[in-house]
Amino acid sequence: MTALLVALHLAALLGLPFLLVGIVNRTKALWAGRKGPRLLQAFSDFRRLLRKRPVYSEVTTAIFRVGPLVVLASTIVSALLAPVLGRFAPISFHYDFVAVAYLWGLGRMAMMLGALDTGSSFEGMGASREATYSALVEPALFLALGTLAAATGHATFAELVGAGARGAAPAIVPLACAVALFVVLQVEAARVPVDDPTTHLELTMIHEVMILDHSGPELAALQYASALKMTICAGIVAAVLNPLSAADGPLLVAAVNVALVLGVAVAVGFVESLVARLRLAAVPTYVFVAVVSGLVALLATAGWQGGAR
Amino acid sequence: MILLVAAAVVLLAGAGLALVLRDNVHRGWSSIAAQAVASVLVLAAVVPTLVRGGDLRYRIAWSYPVESIALHLDPLGAFFLAWSLPMTLLGTVYALGYLRPYFRTRNSGVQFALLDVIALSFLMVYTVESAFAFLLGWEIAAVSAWLLVVWDYRNQKIRFAGFNYLVSTHIGLFFLLAAFTLLYSQTGSMDFQSFAAFLQRPSRLRSIAYVLLVTSFGLKSAFFPFHTWLPRAHSAAPAHVSALMSGVIHKAGLFGLLRFTLLLGEPEAWMGWALIGFSALSAVVGVLYTTAQRDLKRLLGYSSTENVGIAGMGFGIGTLGLAWHQPALVALGFTGGILHVLNHALFKCLLFYAAGAVYRSTHCVDLERLGGLARRLPWTAGFFLLGALAISALPPFNGFVSELLVYAGLFDPSVPAGIPRAVLVAVAAVLAFVGGVSALAMTRAFGVTFLGSPRDARIHCEGEVSPLLRIPMAVHAAGVVLLGLVPAVGLAIVDGPARLFRARVPAAAPDAVLEPARALAPIGGIALLLLAVVGALLLVRRRLAAGAPARRHVTWGCGYTAPTARIQYTGASFSAQFADLFYAVLTADRRERLPEGPFPEKVGQLSVHHVDAVEKRMFEVMGEGEALVNQLAARLPRAPGVSIGAGLVALSVMVALLLAGAGGAR
Repeated sequence: MTALLVALHLAALLGLPFLLVGIVNRTKALWAGRKGPRLLQAFSDFRRLLRKRPVYSEVTTAIFRVGPLVVLASTIVSALLAPVLGRFAPISFHYDFVAVAYLWGLGRMAMMLGALDTGSSFEGMGASREATYSALVEPALFLALGTLAAATGHATFAELVGAGARGAAPAIVPLACAVALFVVLQVEAARVPVDDPTTHLELTMIHEVMILDHSGPELAALQYASALKMTICAGIVAAVLNPLSAADGPLLVAAVNVALVLGVAVAVGFVESLVARLRLAAVPTYVFVAVVSGLVALLATAGWQGGAR
Repeated sequence: MILLVAAAVVLLAGAGLALVLRDNVHRGWSSIAAQAVASVLVLAAVVPTLVRGGDLRYRIAWSYPVESIALHLDPLGAFFLAWSLPMTLLGTVYALGYLRPYFRTRNSGVQFALLDVIALSFLMVYTVESAFAFLLGWEIAAVSAWLLVVWDYRNQKIRFAGFNYLVSTHIGLFFLLAAFTLLYSQTGSMDFQSFAAFLQRPSRLRSIAYVLLVTSFGLKSAFFPFHTWLPRAHSAAPAHVSALMSGVIHKAGLFGLLRFTLLLGEPEAWMGWALIGFSALSAVVGVLYTTAQRDLKRLLGYSSTENVGIAGMGFGIGTLGLAWHQPALVALGFTGGILHVLNHALFKCLLFYAAGAVYRSTHCVDLERLGGLARRLPWTAGFFLLGALAISALPPFNGFVSELLVYAGLFDPSVPAGIPRAVLVAVAAVLAFVGGVSALAMTRAFGVTFLGSPRDARIHCEGEVSPLLRIPMAVHAAGVVLLGLVPAVGLAIVDGPARLFRARVPAAAPDAVLEPARALAPIGGIALLLLAVVGALLLVRRRLAAGAPARRHVTWGCGYTAPTARIQYTGASFSAQFADLFYAVLTADRRERLPEGPFPEKVGQLSVHHVDAVEKRMFEVMGEGEALVNQLAARLPRAPGVSIGAGLVALSVMVALLLAGAGGAR
C-alpha cells in the first residue's frame, strides 16, 4: 500500500503542477468569455523551453546558472515532505513542516540572488518585493501549521494537516487555518491579488520580473518549480478541508484530495477573475489577514483546550 | 587540570614575547604559536571531560583579597573552552594577514599580545568558581576587547565607539557586581557552590539576583535593548576583532546565563517566560536592524543581537522545562540553544572574516558603493554566501539544525495545553518571521556587495586576499558544512553540557532525553537528498546543453538601451519597502536637498541613514537629540559625562533594588 501511495504521490508531483496552471488559466478564460489555451499548454511550454538555447547576461556569474536548479531541487525535496495526497507523504518525520518552510526559503533566496546577479534594477525590484512579502507571510504559515499541531497533538506534516477537518477541534480551527494557508498559496505561488503572473509590465510584477533574464532550461526549471509549489500549497489547503477520516482508506482520501486540489485551483482562478491585483502598498495588509486568521485559529485552540482541561 | 594552568602560562609567555620581539611578523607568529600550544593543551584537558562528563577541581592559593582561586572544569565550561581557544587562534592567524599592510608603520605587538590575553581570559571565566576570580576574568576580557577595538585610535569615531563600548560593558559589570554583592551578603562567601545553596531556595532575593544577572549577561551578549554599543564597536574594530567579539568573546554572557541557571536548581516558570520574551524581542529587533544597514560590518553586528536572541529562546524553553519538570523540553531547549551558540560562532566569524576581506581588498564596507565583487573575489564571495545561507538558517547548513531544535521545543506536546502552548506557537511564528527577515537582510548584503556590476568607479578592487585570510575562512566554512550535513556531530559536541541540564529533571520516560537526537536524525538525510537532487539536476542540465553552447548578451533592460551601473537596485532601495513598514524601529535619518525648478542650478543630494532607535531615543530623552552624539564625540577626551550619568542611573537602580530586596528579606 505504501509503495502504491508513493507512486501516486510521485505521479501527482509530475502531472498535477502543469494541470493546475492549465485549470487556473481555463477558469479565467471561461470567466472572461474566451476559449483559453489547452489544459496542458504549460507542459508544452516546458518541453519547448528545454530545447531552447539559453542566453546569459554578461554580468552574471555561476549563481545565475545554478540558482534555478537549486530552486527546483529544494521545491522537489519539499514536495516529498508535503502531504499533497491528504494524509500521506513519502518522507515524514517530526516537525518536517519546518523543513518544508525552510526549503522554500532556500529556493527563494537562490531565486532572489539569481535576480540580483543580472544587475538589472527591475529584477532587484522583484527580489526586494519577494523578500518583503515572504518575510511577512512566514508567521502566517507557522501560526496555521503550529495551531494544527497543537490542536491535533501530531508533529508530522501529513498527520497534522491530514487530521484537520475531522479532528476533535471546533470547526473554526481548520477553517481559519485554511484561509491563512490560501493566502500563503497566493503569496508563495505569486497569484492575484498579491502578484499578477500574466502582466507584461515589469514595474508591477514580483515573481515574473525576477525571472526576466532567465531563458531556456533555466526558465523551464523555474516555471516547473513555481507550479510545483502551487501544487504543494493547494494540496495542504485541500488536506485541511478534506472531510474524510483515516478510516475511509488512504486511496479514497487521496482521490478526494486530488479533487479538492483541482477545486482549489478553480478557486484561485475565480479570485483572479473577480479581483484586481492589489496596490503593492496594500499587499502587507492583505498578508496581515492571513496572520490574523492564523491567530484566530490559535486562540480558538487555546480556548478549546484550556476549557476542556 | 594542570594542563589548563600550563596553557595559561604559555599564553602569558606568548603575550610577553609578542610585546618584546622586534619585528611585527615575529610578534604575530609568537602569539599564534602560544595559542596553538595552549589550544592543544586545553583540548587535551577538556575533551575527556566533554566525552565522559564529570568534574575536575583544583585550588590555587592566592594573595589577599582573592585568597584562593577555585578552579572547576565541568562539561559546560569544557564545551565553551573547546571552541573558544581554537577560534581565537584562527582569528589571530587572520589578524596576521589582515594587519600586514600596517606592519611597516605600526607596532602590532600590543594587538597580538591582547589576542593572547583574550584567550587567557576565557580560561579564567570558563573555569573559575569564585566570584572574585570570575570578575577578574570578566574584566580582563572587557578591557582587552576595548583595547583591541581601538586599534585605529587616531580616528575620533573609533575612539568614541571604543569608549561607548567601555561604558556599556561597565554598566553591565555594575549589575553583575550588584548580583554578587547581594549573593555575598546572603551567603558570606564568594564561592559559586555556596551561592548555589542560597539560589536553590525560591525567595524574593533570588528573583532579584536572577534579574540582575540576566541584565548583566544580556548586556554582555548584546540583547535588545542593551545592544547600543554593539553596532558602533563592530563597525569600528578590525575585522578579526569584530569576528571574535561577536562570535566568541561575548558568548561569555550566554555562558554566565547557563552557569547560573545550573546553580539555580529549580527555576520558577516566570524566569523561563521572561527569558523567552526578552530573547524573542532581541531576535526581532536585531533582525529588523540588519535589514536597513549600509555598513556591512554594522549589519553583521546587529545580527548578533538576533542570534543571541534565538539561543536565548532555546534557554528559555529549557528553563520552562526545568520549572515544569518536562525532560523533553529541557533536552530540546538547552541542546538547541547551546548548539546555536556554537553555530553562531562558526558562521558569524566566517561572515566577519569575509567582510574583512572585502575591506582589505577595496578599503570600503559601504554596501551602496560596492557591487560585482563575486568575479574579483571568488573565494571571499563563496565564503560569504555560505555564511549568509547558514545564518538565515537554511538547509543544508548548520543554522537550520539548531533552529529546528528550538522549533521542536516550541511545538513540543509536553507543553501544557491552553495558553502556554498557544504562546509558544506564537513565539514559533515570531521565530519564522525572524528567519524570513534574516533571509531578506542576507540576500541584500550578499547580492548588493557581490553581484551585479560595481556601483562606484572610484572603488578599486585589489583582487583576492592572501591565504592567511582565506585559511581561517575555509576552516569556519568546513565547520558550517559539516555540522549541517551531519547533525549528529553537533549533537555529540553539545551533549556534555546538555546532559548537565537533563540531569536536573529525572526522566520519567527514558526516551524523552533522546528527543533532540530523534528530531535531528532525518535532517542529515534531507540535507544529503537535497545535494543529490541538485547534483542530478546539474547532470541533466549538462546533457541538455551538450548540443549548443549558451550565448552571452547584455542584461535585458526592458527596452531601455542606455543603462549604467548607477541605476542598479541599491541596498537602500532593496530594503526601502520593508523598512517603511517598520518605521518605528528603523528610524531613518533623511537628509536631502532637492533640485529646484525645471532648470536646477544647484546639484541636489539625498542621503538616508538608519540610526539606532534605542540610542536615538536615549539621547533624545537626555534632552539634546542625535546631535549630542556628535557633540559628545567631539569633546570626548575631556569630559566623559555620559559615563557618570549612566553610572549614576545604574547605581541608583542597584541601590533601589537592594533596598527593596532587603525589605523583602526582613
